[in-house]
Amino acid sequence: MLSLLHTPLTPLNRFSFSPKTLKSPKPQFSKTPVQSLLQWNRKPQLAGETPRVVVITSGKGGVGKTTTTANVGLSLARFGFSVVAIDADVGLRNLDLLLGLENRVNYTVVEVLNGDCRLDQALVRDKRWSNFELLCISKPRSKLPLGFGGKALVWVVDALKTREEGSPDFILIDCPAGIDAGFITAITPANEAVLVTTPDITSLRDADRVIGLLECDGIRDIKMMVNRVRTDMIRGEDMMSVLDIQEMLGLALLGVIPEDTEVIRSTNRGFPLVLNQPPTLAGLAFEQAAWRLVEQDSMKAVMVEEEPKKRGFFSFFGG
Amino acid sequence: MASIWSLQFHSLCFPVSKHHRVFQFPNVVRLRNEFSLIDAQLSSNLLSTNRNFQLRAVGSSDEDPPVKTETFAVALNAKDPVAELQGFVASLPPVVFVMKRYGGRNTSIGLCLAAAFLVIAVRAFMARKSRYKNPGSVADLVRRGQLRSDRRGISRPLKYEDPFNNPLVKVGKNNSTVEMCGKVYRLAPVTLTEEEQTIHQKRRSRAYQWKRPTIFLKEGDSIPPDVDPDTIRWIPTNHPFATTASDIDEDLAQNNVYQKHGVPFRIQAEHEALQRKLEALQSEQKLNNLVIDPSHAKDFERPFKLNPKSQEPVEQNPFINKSGNSRPTKSDQAPNAFRSNSSSSEEMQKP
Repeated sequence: MLSLLHTPLTPLNRFSFSPKTLKSPKPQFSKTPVQSLLQWNRKPQLAGETPRVVVITSGKGGVGKTTTTANVGLSLARFGFSVVAIDADVGLRNLDLLLGLENRVNYTVVEVLNGDCRLDQALVRDKRWSNFELLCISKPRSKLPLGFGGKALVWVVDALKTREEGSPDFILIDCPAGIDAGFITAITPANEAVLVTTPDITSLRDADRVIGLLECDGIRDIKMMVNRVRTDMIRGEDMMSVLDIQEMLGLALLGVIPEDTEVIRSTNRGFPLVLNQPPTLAGLAFEQAAWRLVEQDSMKAVMVEEEPKKRGFFSFFGG
Repeated sequence: MASIWSLQFHSLCFPVSKHHRVFQFPNVVRLRNEFSLIDAQLSSNLLSTNRNFQLRAVGSSDEDPPVKTETFAVALNAKDPVAELQGFVASLPPVVFVMKRYGGRNTSIGLCLAAAFLVIAVRAFMARKSRYKNPGSVADLVRRGQLRSDRRGISRPLKYEDPFNNPLVKVGKNNSTVEMCGKVYRLAPVTLTEEEQTIHQKRRSRAYQWKRPTIFLKEGDSIPPDVDPDTIRWIPTNHPFATTASDIDEDLAQNNVYQKHGVPFRIQAEHEALQRKLEALQSEQKLNNLVIDPSHAKDFERPFKLNPKSQEPVEQNPFINKSGNSRPTKSDQAPNAFRSNSSSSEEMQKP
């Protein structure tokens, strides 16, 4: 879940807000590539060309694509980036529910294509973070014309690039499960991909196939996010470890999300996990993954085992 | 209470540092002493206790420290029963000497110990109970005022500046452990190398030969001449997608997506069609009237009198007022009635 420390970045940067106390306030790490670790008191540095069009896919259903899209998207918005999340699930959209915006979706891309509304009218702006917008492909009962599903998303991305208030920094596309027409539609405009998987063999097999299809399609920047990890089961060798999964798929790690009951709570409430106060374990992991996504970084170390916390002498007294 | 007792046991068990003079009071006398101090603040005149202070001098640790005991009376009033009791209590030898004299009979100390352990156990139990009170539940958040249960999804934004700079994420000193949300995890470095990644990529490129389909055809359709057959996605005829009627032109759809201002295409087209229909109806009416009843020719000069409400919505129509490229219309009632829902919801969505 965290990257290992290769440069003495963190402890210094923690106090970088008081340059008077430092003797050399010049940026020491400007030449080195950005390495996201545990970051302290600084905003992530956006790498790559904007808009970054990222498709979040998995192959198998139910592994957490939509949850990842919602949480990473809102984390990016909280970091200060402009984000448009596109729910490309044609028949079974859920992203609006997770974001609590289901009552505000009046128009979708299908209405835009038909000329019933303009694109800016179909974008639903989140009231919590105004730089986050949601765009749904279609209403559950309406159908996207098959012939230009992928082209429609390319047009949408082009139109977003040239809109008046400026191009968004990130366009996240929530891909439907499977490798059917919806998958093809979703990956068409993407430049990079985030593959969400869980530590079970069914998910891994589908993930491997999806990675193969993405690579055939020319998307080379693929990172993996392992969801619903339970360290207690890994310790008991009932679950594959994250390093095992990485060895099987051969992908860079963007994040590891532990199993957390708060995920279900936040889903039911329509309030994404990363906005929880106090922050939860999974919410923190999503935020760190979003940080790495911004800086195009990957994890250098993973959390493998839960150690019993060393308790002090006075903890016996309830302290 | 526990702290007082423990302090006393400390003072009993451990030798105090050199060159220190420590007052060692008997247990009961000390407590009484505190009470009397409080009493002294309230009414110093009534205080007439018989206090015997035991002075113990602790010398160097090399030699067996001789314990000097000095007893002196602070005040004496034998008539007071309370003072008598206190005097009796004070006349008892200190705990140290009692312990030295009667090593096996320390029931009072045992009682104190048992009481202390009881207090500790109760406190630990209470702490554990409060820890598992389900702190992140919706009910808990609502109770703490962080979530309004009746307004889901539009709660007050919770802001904290830096998600990484919070007390829930702490890296260990040698970067081998991390503490998140109160749990300590061990960190293991990622072992994947670039070579392994390329090996996996080659394996996948051999295993999965795929071209992204660019054209979707129903089963039974003929292949267009300039299309690579590998990029065709064949859709079964009973597939839900296959039943989708694509009644819209591709170029038109593209223009619709790229449109940034003005009335959307479909709205405008429907509006114009209805307008034409209305005009046709009116002209037809004129014609019929001309044919059927030429005597009422004067009514044709004011045709809108027949439909007096038709002009009012034109002025109220937000589309016409807002958009620059909309065309002025004479009668707009029918499209407005048809699109009233969409226009109002559009207003709500994009003010």
